[in-house]
Amino acid sequence: MDSFSSPSSGSSATQFNPDAFKDQLKNQLAQAYAEEFLETLRSKCFDKCITKPGSSLGGSESSCISRCMDRYIEATGIISKALFSASPQ
Amino acid sequence: MDPSSMNNPELLQFINQEKERAMVNEMVGKLTNVCWDKCITGTPGSKFSSSESACLANCARRYLDMSMIIMKRFQNMQ
Repeated sequence: MDSFSSPSSGSSATQFNPDAFKDQLKNQLAQAYAEEFLETLRSKCFDKCITKPGSSLGGSESSCISRCMDRYIEATGIISKALFSASPQ
Repeated sequence: MDPSSMNNPELLQFINQEKERAMVNEMVGKLTNVCWDKCITGTPGSKFSSSESACLANCARRYLDMSMIIMKRFQNMQ
């Protein structure tokens, strides 16, 4: 067992733990991706659903927002399938 | 971080794999953003129409075709 694969035994500050590093990297990437995706959802759905900002958010605006989120997520799936499934067109 | 950890082949492989995954995510995100604007012109309904979903898929594939053309043309300019 080399020094990288040994779990942090005592001297955790100086010892590099690859598994912890991997977990941390994955978490940070996932968080960054989620934040970016949320920001995109906000901007796209604001454009679509809040066309004339009123004194409060109306019921039709809220339902538009839910639909917009669902459709945007669906669109992401369609795009991803179009790019990576082997059905040239 | 210990610099010698960069010699750990398993870790390098992990990093490259994550890099690739990030590139794929970025591309899907970018194309969804662009094609949403092109194809979804009205307010979002409870279901995509068949022309909307076809537009999204075509938009993504044509973007790739275009990238190839630009790449080739750009290389010929060098």
